[in-house]
Amino acid sequence: MRKIIRNPLALSGLIIIFLILVLALFAPIIAPYDPNFIDIESILIAPSLSHLMGTDGLGRDVFSRMLFGARISLLVGFVAVGIATAIGVILGSVAGYYRGWLDSLIMRLVDIMLSIPSFFLILAVIAFLTPSIWNIMIVIGLTSWMGVTRLVRAEFFSLRQREYVMAAQTMGASDLKIITKHLLPNSLTPIIVSSVLGIASAVLVESGLSFLGLGVQAPTASWGNILTDGKEYIQFAWWLSLFPGMAILLTVLGYNLLGEGLRDAMDPKNNN
Amino acid sequence: MTHHPSHTIARIITLLILIFNLISCSNNEVETIDYKDSYKLEGGGNLVNAMVGEPSNLIAMIAGDSASSVIAGNIFNSLIKYDEKLNYAPELAEKWDVSLDQKTITFTLKENLFWADGTPLTSEDVLFTWKLVTDPKTRTPYASDYLLVKEASAPNPKTFIVTYDETYAPAIDTWASLHILPKHILKDEDINNTFFSRNPIGSGYYQLDQWISGQQVTLKANTKSSQGPANIKYLTSRIIPDTSSQFLELTADNIDLMNINPIQHQRVFPARKDLEQKINLYKELGNGYTYLGFNLKKEPFNDINVRRAINYAIDKDEVIKGVLLGLGEPVASPYKPGTRWNNANLSPYPYDPNKALSLLKAAGYQKNQSGLFEKDGKVLGFEILTNQNKQREMTAVLVQRRLKEIGIDVTIRVIEWASFINRFIKTGDFNAVVLGWSLSLDPDQYNIWHSSQQGPGQFNFIGYNNKEVDKLLEDGRKELDPSKRQKIYYKFSEHLLSDSPIVYLYAGYGLSAVNKRVQGIKTPAPPAGIYHNSYDWFIPQSLRRNEMAN
Repeated sequence: MRKIIRNPLALSGLIIIFLILVLALFAPIIAPYDPNFIDIESILIAPSLSHLMGTDGLGRDVFSRMLFGARISLLVGFVAVGIATAIGVILGSVAGYYRGWLDSLIMRLVDIMLSIPSFFLILAVIAFLTPSIWNIMIVIGLTSWMGVTRLVRAEFFSLRQREYVMAAQTMGASDLKIITKHLLPNSLTPIIVSSVLGIASAVLVESGLSFLGLGVQAPTASWGNILTDGKEYIQFAWWLSLFPGMAILLTVLGYNLLGEGLRDAMDPKNNN
Repeated sequence: MTHHPSHTIARIITLLILIFNLISCSNNEVETIDYKDSYKLEGGGNLVNAMVGEPSNLIAMIAGDSASSVIAGNIFNSLIKYDEKLNYAPELAEKWDVSLDQKTITFTLKENLFWADGTPLTSEDVLFTWKLVTDPKTRTPYASDYLLVKEASAPNPKTFIVTYDETYAPAIDTWASLHILPKHILKDEDINNTFFSRNPIGSGYYQLDQWISGQQVTLKANTKSSQGPANIKYLTSRIIPDTSSQFLELTADNIDLMNINPIQHQRVFPARKDLEQKINLYKELGNGYTYLGFNLKKEPFNDINVRRAINYAIDKDEVIKGVLLGLGEPVASPYKPGTRWNNANLSPYPYDPNKALSLLKAAGYQKNQSGLFEKDGKVLGFEILTNQNKQREMTAVLVQRRLKEIGIDVTIRVIEWASFINRFIKTGDFNAVVLGWSLSLDPDQYNIWHSSQQGPGQFNFIGYNNKEVDKLLEDGRKELDPSKRQKIYYKFSEHLLSDSPIVYLYAGYGLSAVNKRVQGIKTPAPPAGIYHNSYDWFIPQSLRRNEMAN
């Protein structure tokens, strides 16, 4: 932890993420308006004191919508990565611990999944489902577990040769116990790093889907669909494009900085 | 590679200076033209417009997209046309006579008609075109109207005769929309797949000059035009898929006209004096309307009280104000307000939430703890489907808000057009839709409302079924007397309003922005619209762009 704080980039990532988390968590308290409150008397008002980020095409307060949109983005990030990590850890453990034909099978599955451009796979799957935030999280999760699988497998390959693992085996510990008590705790670092980086890409995918109209459906606010609205009025209402764009940029940047920082901090070879 | 830091800084500064110069240059170039009140008519020039998509095929009966039909409309002619007051007028035919039993129409062609390649245009071409459009091998969606013709003949080069089985009132209208094609070129061609679709020879004001795929289509004035010469020599249609980019091209003077949206009309133009100085805005009511349609075969929409309650619960003025910034009109019949077929005695359902509540109670619905209406343990709610069209999506959000207020749970789903049509509309797998109808000038709406038109891919996909309306629609097709026809369609509109199978939301204004270099546009716009006399438009020499002669 101290290493993260000393690393200025990682620290700034942490601060950005923390701030966005706080804003999203307390959105109902902070937001000056109901995010879905329509006021056709005040359509497309430029940012001012009463509307910090202006209003959209239906007179809704963009700042309030941004706050509630942050919840969607973060929720999608966490849940999707949670699903991906769970699948990745299980498959990676099995492949790395048992090796042999199970390993080959799982790794070929990983290769197949990696050979399909994931955004188009997600687009194709979403087109067949009802677009809802839960479906999006599940689909993103189910299409992004391959990296974690590879990492966990590689860690297990080296760890299972260690003396303490052999000792546990000799003492008759069950496979499950060895995996959960000895191997996984020691491979936690790469899993955490890749999850943090994974959140960043999940946030981007969700924004992309919402931008294309396949994500969160109206009237629920998400950064992606505020950005789509902005595209319509870009020569006139810059605030509808700027703020969600900046928010996506900052969040992704924050997670990436934090992820990279974590990696440096936890790398034993890195002593400065 | 190593750079001395000061070199890098020097380069950046040079770059900044360059950029600054560029910006200031372009600012200096803005010149203001003093437009005169009137100009002398001069032929020549190039009118540049933009289209969202590339035309698929310049044979209109095969193509279905609007880009194709706009371009083909400049190249080909029909037998008759609508004049500026929307009455029938001669185009290729100088006159047409309807027999006493009203089943036979005899068209007499004008003298000296030629195709652009110099071959004479005769009634043989018309007969050939009729055979083509009714040939089952021709892949056209427009055959049905022409299949009603029992017999067609061309007894001499100037005469074309069609006979119908029974009186068919929209017949004349159908001959105003069929482009006549040249027999001498197409007689041995497969119409579905021919060079002619990209290389057409017509008889209209223009002929194809150059077609650069993905970029632009250029038309040149046809010297043998059957309608006399057009003033403007070249029509260039640039392909610009994004309307925001089109707007930038309009403001940068690179295109001369385009259709704009309400935000551009009400907010962008008033804020920019430089645009008002060089661009004229035109506003005219379009021939179409946007509606909320119910799937009448499904619960709860098979109950007229529910449909009426929803109609009362929606504030149409709010939709017009919010979505169109006021640039629309409420409608109460499926006809354009202000035209002969629109029944002006009808008025839309007013916004009356109390009435909506009492109608729902009359339909047997009770409010539950969460404030939503419920009947037999089922919550009153539905999903509104619409396609990726910002105005329709915003409309759905406003409708959703009002219905939630009275206790109806509505969700919205926005879908891309092709899957919207194929997966939901054609299969009937939907609850409610926000959609629009664009209408033809003839009042016949048999295809949309007759109970026989509910098959997959047919237009009565909401499943409207009313015996009296069926009868009126059948009668309307057989009645040629305009005032009797008017009564029939007035009655039809009354039924439709009272049944409330759809909620009429609005008819929007078409908004056009045209550069002031284009002269000869009629204001105020005639009933047929500003584009009606586009062949009389001209661009004075002094206002033309500097372009290389070609």
